[in-house]
Amino acid sequence: MEKHFTDSRVKGVSTGTTILAAVFDGGVVIGSDSRASIGGDYVSSKAINKLIQVHDRIFCCIAGSLADAQAVTKTAKFQLSFHSIQMENPPLVIAAASVLKELCYNNKDELQAGFITAGWDKKKGPQVYVVSLGGMLISQPVTIAGSGSTYIYGYVDAKYKVNMTREECLQFATNALALAMGRDNVSGGVVNLVVITEAGVEHIVIPGDKLPTFSDE
Amino acid sequence: MSRGSNAGFDRHITIFSPEGRLYQVEYAFKAISQSGLTSVGIRGSDCTVVVTQKKVPDKLLDSSTVTNMFKLTPLIGCVMTGHNADSRSQVHRARVEAGEWKYKFGYDITADVLCRRLADISQVYTQNAEMRPLGCCMILVAIDPQLGPVLYKCDPAGYYCGFRATAVGAKQTEANSFLEKKLKKKPALDLDKTVQLAISCLSTVLAIDFKAHELEIGIVTKDKPKFRTLTDAEIEAHLVAIAERE
Repeated sequence: MEKHFTDSRVKGVSTGTTILAAVFDGGVVIGSDSRASIGGDYVSSKAINKLIQVHDRIFCCIAGSLADAQAVTKTAKFQLSFHSIQMENPPLVIAAASVLKELCYNNKDELQAGFITAGWDKKKGPQVYVVSLGGMLISQPVTIAGSGSTYIYGYVDAKYKVNMTREECLQFATNALALAMGRDNVSGGVVNLVVITEAGVEHIVIPGDKLPTFSDE
Repeated sequence: MSRGSNAGFDRHITIFSPEGRLYQVEYAFKAISQSGLTSVGIRGSDCTVVVTQKKVPDKLLDSSTVTNMFKLTPLIGCVMTGHNADSRSQVHRARVEAGEWKYKFGYDITADVLCRRLADISQVYTQNAEMRPLGCCMILVAIDPQLGPVLYKCDPAGYYCGFRATAVGAKQTEANSFLEKKLKKKPALDLDKTVQLAISCLSTVLAIDFKAHELEIGIVTKDKPKFRTLTDAEIEAHLVAIAERE
């Protein structure tokens, strides 16, 4: 389903990447690696932030061309803040995802970026949406994307459970990202996690040497 | 000379009269008083407060949907006085300007810059034949990251200025004199004193003994810089405090 973002057609800096988001009981965990590469040969940055906050309780993780993703999330942030001020209420997660979808779909010929949007709103609680390259928008309880995601589909399918606790979900996300970073050459660096609940937003960073190790390491 | 040549249109569109007046702009100011409401803004030592009357003329109106206080950005609020529809239009424009600034430059617009931008836009209306000036006046409040609490006002003439205290509306002259007297000695005003001074100003000048639901109060404070409006219960507490003082 997901395109390989290590295509040499991706010009410039790309986030050959692993990103994921998962709903747990009372919130959502969104996470990513932190490597930015050029053409799969050169690591242009070891610790970039791929988790962009588009509103108080809504985050977006980006995959694909970094420049495209940053431009789109910047535009989305502007539109969402205006929408929220006009509605005099925090925006819904679906609103954030729809704004990104509109931008991706209407500019699909020029852009090469995909997003996972996750957050919490008063109407539907914690939600995860994925906006793919061409502008498809769907909602899923757990989703993975990026070049590294291909190596962990089995793990995610086997290990994700609905209504996990916050700690179980954090462990699940950390393991999944560590496994992907272990096999995908364009994913790496540190693991960035954000936990979003009604109460607020918490950032967790796990440096490379503190990542879980597996039987082959 | 000039008397004959503009054929009396100087009252109908924004061109100069022979005496050098812009009648349309003056009429715009009269339109602000037409609404019959008065608003007051006061800058305290660690807060800025705006108060306006909440008049719900029709018993069938849902008063929770009637408001003259608007949030322009999370940190900048305003009270609008004058023509309701023009007020909404100016608020919308202010929100767009603030949002575009943040998008283009990457940081939040400050109240003085936003006020100047709106004043510049209002000035264009005083020079265009095809557009009339807006019949409303905006008082902006914010906690500026460098300057602390600020209070700005922009009017239909395109004039804007920062104030220690100001009033707009039907009874603005009387209210401004009241404020000048009270602030002559430059007293230190904390949040409660500022709110109560603003309420006293309105009730003295309008000779009304206010109830909580007849007032709208918006505040920004240094420790809670997000613009918010007080609830009926909070307004009631201030009214009780004022009554106990007297």
